[in-house]
Amino acid sequence: MNKKSSAQGPGQDAPTHSVPAPQPLSVSLEANVQEISKRIGESSDVVFRHFTNESLSSSPLAFIYIDGLVNSEMVNQTVLQPLMETVVPKIPDITATDAYNLVKDQMLPIGSVKEGKTLESLLGMLFDGYTLILFNGMTTALAADTAGWEKRSINEPTSQGVIRGPKEGFTENLRTGTAMLRRRLKTSDLRIEEYKIGERTQTGVALVYLEGIASAEVLKEIRRRLNAIQTDSILESNYIEEFIQDGGLTPFPTIQNTERPDALAGGILEGQVGIIIDGTPFALLAPSTFFNFFQSSEDYYQRYDISSFLRLIRYSAFFVSMLLPALYIAVTTFHQEMLPTTLLVSLAAQREGVPFPALAEALLMELTFDVLREAGVRMPRTIGPAISIVGALVLGQSAVQAGLVSAAMVIVVSFTAISNFVIPSLAIANSIRLIRFIMMLIAATLGLFGIMSFLMVLLIHMAGLRSFGVPYLSPVAPMTPRYLKDIFIRVPLWDMTIRPKTNLGKETRRQGKHQKPEPAKKLQKPEGENTP
Amino acid sequence: MNLRKLLNTKLLCSVLCLPLCTSLLSGCWDARELSELGITSGSAYDWEDNQWKATYQIINPSSGSSSMGGSGGGSTSSPPFITFTVKGKTIMEAIQKSNLTSIREMFPSHSRVTVIGDRLAKRGINPLLDIFLRKQDARETVYVFIHSGDAGDVLDQLMQLTKNQGAGIQLMIEQESKLLSYYPGIRMFELAMNLASESGCAAVPELMLTDSKIMDETSETGQTNLPSRLALGRLGVLKGDKMVGWLSQKEAFGLSFLTNTIKSAMIPFASRPQISEQLDSSYMIQKSTTIVQPRWARDHFIMDIHIKGSGVIHEIGSKVDLNNQAALAEMETSIENNILEVVEQSWKSVKKLNADVTGFAVRIHRSDKKRWRSIRQDKNWDTVFQNIEIRPHVHMDIERTGLSSKSFKSIQQD
Repeated sequence: MNKKSSAQGPGQDAPTHSVPAPQPLSVSLEANVQEISKRIGESSDVVFRHFTNESLSSSPLAFIYIDGLVNSEMVNQTVLQPLMETVVPKIPDITATDAYNLVKDQMLPIGSVKEGKTLESLLGMLFDGYTLILFNGMTTALAADTAGWEKRSINEPTSQGVIRGPKEGFTENLRTGTAMLRRRLKTSDLRIEEYKIGERTQTGVALVYLEGIASAEVLKEIRRRLNAIQTDSILESNYIEEFIQDGGLTPFPTIQNTERPDALAGGILEGQVGIIIDGTPFALLAPSTFFNFFQSSEDYYQRYDISSFLRLIRYSAFFVSMLLPALYIAVTTFHQEMLPTTLLVSLAAQREGVPFPALAEALLMELTFDVLREAGVRMPRTIGPAISIVGALVLGQSAVQAGLVSAAMVIVVSFTAISNFVIPSLAIANSIRLIRFIMMLIAATLGLFGIMSFLMVLLIHMAGLRSFGVPYLSPVAPMTPRYLKDIFIRVPLWDMTIRPKTNLGKETRRQGKHQKPEPAKKLQKPEGENTP
Repeated sequence: MNLRKLLNTKLLCSVLCLPLCTSLLSGCWDARELSELGITSGSAYDWEDNQWKATYQIINPSSGSSSMGGSGGGSTSSPPFITFTVKGKTIMEAIQKSNLTSIREMFPSHSRVTVIGDRLAKRGINPLLDIFLRKQDARETVYVFIHSGDAGDVLDQLMQLTKNQGAGIQLMIEQESKLLSYYPGIRMFELAMNLASESGCAAVPELMLTDSKIMDETSETGQTNLPSRLALGRLGVLKGDKMVGWLSQKEAFGLSFLTNTIKSAMIPFASRPQISEQLDSSYMIQKSTTIVQPRWARDHFIMDIHIKGSGVIHEIGSKVDLNNQAALAEMETSIENNILEVVEQSWKSVKKLNADVTGFAVRIHRSDKKRWRSIRQDKNWDTVFQNIEIRPHVHMDIERTGLSSKSFKSIQQD
């Protein structure tokens, strides 16, 4: 543990981006405008506007905003109009300070107005969609929040669909994300801490958690790691994920990502800490154990028995996806006596004309599938159907008919692929895509013995993993029986009295005991006995 | 200090990882592709010209109907299996010689049956048992049969309804012992166990061809009624490791009662023994247990054999009222007498062969250790066995009489 934490870059309290000493505003309006214009490099989308309003001062004022980042209608109505059209009784000898206060207090019908004293802070606000109002003779400037750029509307999540459950997903906008979360967690305990990470991107990163439920140590650790990030840019949540996740050399993810506000809310309610990142609809959840990746938010939206069944199916699909090709290779090259005779003869018959050994055949088909899959993702949507024709007909059926691969191998590869998609989290599904190949090589050299040995190595590795201090295999290893209610099976909601993933956060009761719905008669019985 | 601890763990880990590397280096020496395997479905052993003669039946995968994959397969005219015969001074020598003629390595793990020629059976099968118990890939779960004649001939015979002849024979004996109970199939390890037991005897079913002709061409299986088929025949009796004689199927059936191996069996009986002794009805035993209790009576052993069972009436050929308890009781007695007769007849033949396939030696050893010790010391089991008197007590219940309570014959005459 010590090694890991000390490896996390120097300086916990270092600022997120190192800047030269901030430059204060000068008294001259012209100088300030010139300086800002120089800093931005006279970009065409920056609008400078000088104006005068007799009633304020005879000296000119200036607006600066970035076209496209602001809602121009809003700028016109709430900044330009009041400042340019309002004529108040002229105050004689109005000073710059008076004018400044007048504008700030009376003339800006807008929610968020900030003050900026340095060039850097003003520029930062400018890039956030604020409209700057600079005064001649003042070393402070006003910034009105007029942000309003083109946004994607809220859509159904494309990567994590459900049949029953909310259909809205996060968008690329950080504020939309926090709002969606707040709408679900109407409690004063919800905390949203914002960070700006990335020297050049200044990406907004919001740490969201429930005060009193999230573990303080985990929070401290996440804050420390977020603050330690020194990078040029954060374009997607994976940038943050890679910078803060434990155990660099592991195929297993230790941070979940989700596109679903309900999943994020669910995680936060169970003591996890959410991280919403501006510019991507994928939010992060940490700490995450191995078993978190097999829980889908739909598990809680349908009956517990079917949820439990589906969850067990997911675990078996995980193993199938990881092991099936390896098992096929091992059994057909080392342990033929394990197969029923009829199956063995049938497999042998299929392999009669196949020119490659089982390993080559399996590798060939698995790689083919991965190529197909990648092509399916990258391909323009209009030529998408071509993929399925090429994939299913040419590579599947024809390859078998041409005698290049055996039909059994096609079945093995297809079932492996399908199983991989059963796992709700793409993160862990991807990690076993690679393990599968290692497994196949080991199976071809050492058979079942090799598979078992490698599984053992994997298990040891996983048992040693930590996600922000939480053991990766908990609550199974180390075993905490009372937390097992939501791991392999999901017990009815009324039976989950304490937070099931309590090891992620604090152990707190989340609902009353004895909530199992029962007929009213049964409850009234003792009273009935007393009355006569 | 922490660093040193870390370094130590790292060192320890890398040292621990070294043995893993060796396992990788030594990998895949025994990897075999499916196309390199000659999947053996059956084997036959015989003794000819003073040497072992082994015949192996190797499955030809490309003859199977499921050979869609691969361009090599698909020809339906190729036989479902091939056989080849090798000879050698020892069994292993013969097996190794098979590599002189076969393109595939023999893979005996899927073997289902082993047929022993009667010449070999009379000479002794100890070496065969040894190799089956010793060799790693030999399967001692194969069913053993005796063939009177050249054992290899049986393996050449094609079977209908199944392509894998070995599996077909296995099915045959399993069905027989489940539905008919003339004799149970005996597996190689059971054979070894029986021969090594106190009685030192075992019974092995005969596998025979119903005609002298061998159907070994695929074109010949095209006909619906094969002139020659594989069939289960008599029961060969082995004593020591040599065959001493045969029991007929009826005698074998009686032996099944004595050894408690009846699973379900059909007993023809006379439904009204006072009127006619003719066997006109059938009773199906659905459950039967035999308890053998030896007891010493002055100079010989008396075996009390309690056979208890229940079953249903399947066929009635006489005029009988099944609602009548007395009639049923009469029928039960008739059935019991039939069984008694079968058992007595069987015991007579067993006694004549002087081979304790009944397992009485085991019973006596278990119930009377002292006397068994003295028998073994005196080595006079054979005389003791000859003096054994059996007292079978049969009790059979008719549980149901089928869907009609009257025989058709009685309806007709009303």
